Amino acid sequence: MLATTLIVLPLAGALLVALFPLPRLATAGLAFLVALLEVGVWIVAVTRFDFDEGTLQLGTTREWVESLGISYAVGFYGFSLWLAGAAVVVGAAAAGYALFVGRERPRAYHALLLFLTGAVVATFAAQDLILFYAAFEAMLIPLYVLVGVWGGPRRTAATLTFVVYTMAGSLLMLAAVVAFGVTQGTFSLLEAGTSGNAWIFLGFAVAFAVKAPLFPFHGWLPLAYREAPVEVAAVLSAVVSKAAVYGFLRIALPVFPEPVEDLTPLLLALAAAGLVYGSVLAFRAPDLRGIVAYSSMAQMGLITLGVFAFNDLGLDGAVLQSVAHALVSASMFLLVGMVERRCVTGELALLGGMARGRPALATLLLVAGMVALAVPGSATFAGEFLIMAGAYGEGWGYAALVALGIVLAAMYVLRLISAVLHESRGAAVREEALDLRPGELALLLPLVACLLGLSAWPALVSQSSFPGDEPARALEEGLR
Amino acid sequence: MVAGAWFCLLAPLAGSLAIALAGQRISGRQAGWISTLTTFAAFAGATVSFLDLWAAEPERREELSTAYTWLAAGDLRVGLEILVDPLSAAMMLIVSGVGGLIVWYSMGYMAGDDEERRYFAYMSLFVFAMLLLVEAGNVLLLLVGWGLVGLASYLLIGFWHHRPQAVAAAKKAFVMNAAGDATFALAVVLLVWETGALDYPSVFADVGGLSDTVVTLVALGLLGGALAKSAQVPLHTWLPDAMEGPTPVSALIHAATMVTAGVYLLVRAHPVYEAAADVQHLAAVLGAVTLLLAGLVALVQWDIKRVIAYSTMSQIGYMFLAAGIGAYGVAIFHLMTHAFFKALLFLAAGVVIHRLAGEQDIRRMGGLRAELPRTHLAFLVGTAALAGLPPLAGFWSKDAILASALELGGGLGAALLAAGLLGTLLTGAYAFRLYFAVFHGERRELAPEPHGPEAAHVPEHGEGPLSMLVPVGVLTVLAAVGGLLSVPGLWHPFTHWVGEVAEPLVEASARQEYGTSAAAVALALLGLALARAAFLRGRELVALPAAWTLLERKLYFDELYDALFYRPAAALSALLRREVEEPVIERSLDGIGSGTVQVGGEVARVQSGLVRSYALTIAAAVLVLVVVFVAVR
Repeated sequence: MLATTLIVLPLAGALLVALFPLPRLATAGLAFLVALLEVGVWIVAVTRFDFDEGTLQLGTTREWVESLGISYAVGFYGFSLWLAGAAVVVGAAAAGYALFVGRERPRAYHALLLFLTGAVVATFAAQDLILFYAAFEAMLIPLYVLVGVWGGPRRTAATLTFVVYTMAGSLLMLAAVVAFGVTQGTFSLLEAGTSGNAWIFLGFAVAFAVKAPLFPFHGWLPLAYREAPVEVAAVLSAVVSKAAVYGFLRIALPVFPEPVEDLTPLLLALAAAGLVYGSVLAFRAPDLRGIVAYSSMAQMGLITLGVFAFNDLGLDGAVLQSVAHALVSASMFLLVGMVERRCVTGELALLGGMARGRPALATLLLVAGMVALAVPGSATFAGEFLIMAGAYGEGWGYAALVALGIVLAAMYVLRLISAVLHESRGAAVREEALDLRPGELALLLPLVACLLGLSAWPALVSQSSFPGDEPARALEEGLR
Repeated sequence: MVAGAWFCLLAPLAGSLAIALAGQRISGRQAGWISTLTTFAAFAGATVSFLDLWAAEPERREELSTAYTWLAAGDLRVGLEILVDPLSAAMMLIVSGVGGLIVWYSMGYMAGDDEERRYFAYMSLFVFAMLLLVEAGNVLLLLVGWGLVGLASYLLIGFWHHRPQAVAAAKKAFVMNAAGDATFALAVVLLVWETGALDYPSVFADVGGLSDTVVTLVALGLLGGALAKSAQVPLHTWLPDAMEGPTPVSALIHAATMVTAGVYLLVRAHPVYEAAADVQHLAAVLGAVTLLLAGLVALVQWDIKRVIAYSTMSQIGYMFLAAGIGAYGVAIFHLMTHAFFKALLFLAAGVVIHRLAGEQDIRRMGGLRAELPRTHLAFLVGTAALAGLPPLAGFWSKDAILASALELGGGLGAALLAAGLLGTLLTGAYAFRLYFAVFHGERRELAPEPHGPEAAHVPEHGEGPLSMLVPVGVLTVLAAVGGLLSVPGLWHPFTHWVGEVAEPLVEASARQEYGTSAAAVALALLGLALARAAFLRGRELVALPAAWTLLERKLYFDELYDALFYRPAAALSALLRREVEEPVIERSLDGIGSGTVQVGGEVARVQSGLVRSYALTIAAAVLVLVVVFVAVR
């Protein structure tokens, strides 16, 4: 039941926020409260979840369209519960930031944000392909509008590219869903058997590759991450991208064992290419968002590498890294937004010297940055190490590329930190630009605390993500 | 014995967190006290641990203590665990003891800096990370400590972050160490696959069963980390630049403790290196190369801290040489004496820099003997210990290394011995060049506006506050007598203590030791004489202009790496952006719809309407679908 609650609560909140003509602040405050309540419900869900068991829990299954074999089936595995946790936490941070900034037309804005959270959670909980498809699409609608209406100066172009890319992926996936359902006689992942059809698999794989994004399906990424309101960019890179991870873990690997085996070299190659390509571009990107955007792409390549290494180390690493990256990417995007608010620009050449007199900003950017570059001891380090170890199982070259990624990450993150904080004051940095305000701290500190907590005990996620703590076997057995 | 070790590990962490969380509620001075006292508390914990070990039976001097499972995946379990054995106990004592003295010294040195609190929080963080490194009970946790000391080093090199040189130096150090961390991590990955466990006892027990290729690769990966951390050729170029940090940082991190971590690793992982003898010898050869190159470059540097930095590289070269031929106890012995005399030299240099309002150029120093009599004595002791003159600390430890090379014999032993002996000549020359330039000759006028990184300091009168003088005094005594822990023919308590963990492959006889000592002292004195002669004539030790330029440019390593790595990476990034990202990826959709390559403003306007209607259409379609499904049901 809790899965349904987690899905319905933000959707109901969205409706409430959209319909009740409350004053601006009250609207945003109400939305933020709903988002916090959602986090509370998720915490209850974690306490109820039996991680030793690890199989599908907290779920509901109802017939929906019996004649077509469509059901409303939701529930969580360990890994999807962690992904959903990242989603609700980041969603709450985003709602809080929108409240702090005071977005225009708050009713529409906050309703869309809540709707987005609900859709993301539904995606992570879906056990029926039609439901999965609907949720997957439902994530996109608020994103289109949020970027297209509240975005930066080039929001139109950003939305257009985003729409075309994601719709292309979605149409392929829709075709795949239908084809799969027709051949299997059911859309339920809990009832359907495995499929050996490579074309159906490719339909899913392309949609996920666009969503992640993997190289070369990332054409929408630079513009969307640059033009979106910063908290939307945070949700996009932190959470929405993880829909691809969930798709790979819940659909691709358990349902399409043979096509996956055949196409693993291709997917590994794309993942590795994304890792290196994103890192190299991040290293010379001219602005803050460019660095965070391309680094996010690199991280998704890394996570995908762990997934398709298809061994215990890689899979556990991929889940751990997904959660860690969600938290770190959200923190980085929010910090970028806070810098942009003070300086009106994210151009590296115009920034600098902000550490002087702004200890909170300096400390938090430093901590988030160090976790982003996976300093040994951090949760991201633990995740990257496991992925590196997993990738080694597919060939030493992949492990070496992960190692290269670590060095490149050090280069681009240090570049970002120094460009904002160090040396003399940049042209766009006013002397009187304030340190982080209490409201901003109240949003960032919990995120950073989650990161540090996860760094102190990454095993919390990595050993409780799959049934029986045997990821590869659980997936081979179709997560039953 | 583990309780003391845990306390030792956690006290500095608590200090760092306390300072960070207290923020502006405490003064810089209070932060200094928190940092100093927690570091000395760590020393107390280390002492307790050491005494427990001392009292225990020799075969029971090893205890692994696990707090909890830090990382788990599949069958892999990595605990937050510490190992207490003679080697880690010795390192704990050195790190927390020398660390405590230097943090204490910092209270005087950094007084008046606007960001003292940040400084002490970083220093405590470093001490914690370094203790984690030496106490870690498994290879992954060792890597965690390894990376965290790199982080602390980055933070402290770039402490004065308004200076572009400091920021650049900090980034360079971090990236170069990240490269070392990466090879280290690859080695750990190999161990995960080949041995299935990462704690030292299991890993080292399994080394015998691994194939030669695997062992060699593991040894090489670890060596990459060691070379980067210890600034050995070819990953050495970050260390001289790291002198942009405050002087006590140079003393603690870039001389006494962190940079010697590579030596600790070679000794700790000795079973791996013994199974891969070629790699072990490679470490020795690289150490010999470094000790010569750094010694040569040190001859021509003008910056007081850079001379000492190159001498650090050179001395760590000796330690690598020793560890590479299996003289483990001797390597750690030199690590300890070096920590004493090199920390002493840096701290004494700090007094000089303070006195001269931040001046670091030795061409503008001179004649300070009368003005700073106590510092002069301390610096002289440090210099003589560095040069290896009896009976000071460096004499005993360095000569033990030379004797071990002699004992090794063969072509390799002879070559290493020759390099080591040549190194003593260089050491004597550059060490006393520095000493004469700073303390003898004429007192120069201060430059009107000193421009060194530490120029913010006001000129002190006298030799600084007690908090600076006492640590310098203690280190002077240690640098003078620390070497007596191992006297050839008499007793070897220190090397035997470490030998319990890492049994040496070579052990020199007393005769060999005295023989090499005689040669080494003669060469060091020759170096001293050369330095004095050159100084009296007002000339430099390297007279050949071409050689001078070559050395002054540090043999062009920076330029080489810039051309080999940084520029290609930047060029590749620009190329990918120009040739792939912009034309192919970002413009991938330009042709769609309009059928033209360009999307003009007009088209964009049309499309802006399209987007919203598109979104609406989808929303409507989804709604319709939902209604249909519900109705059909």
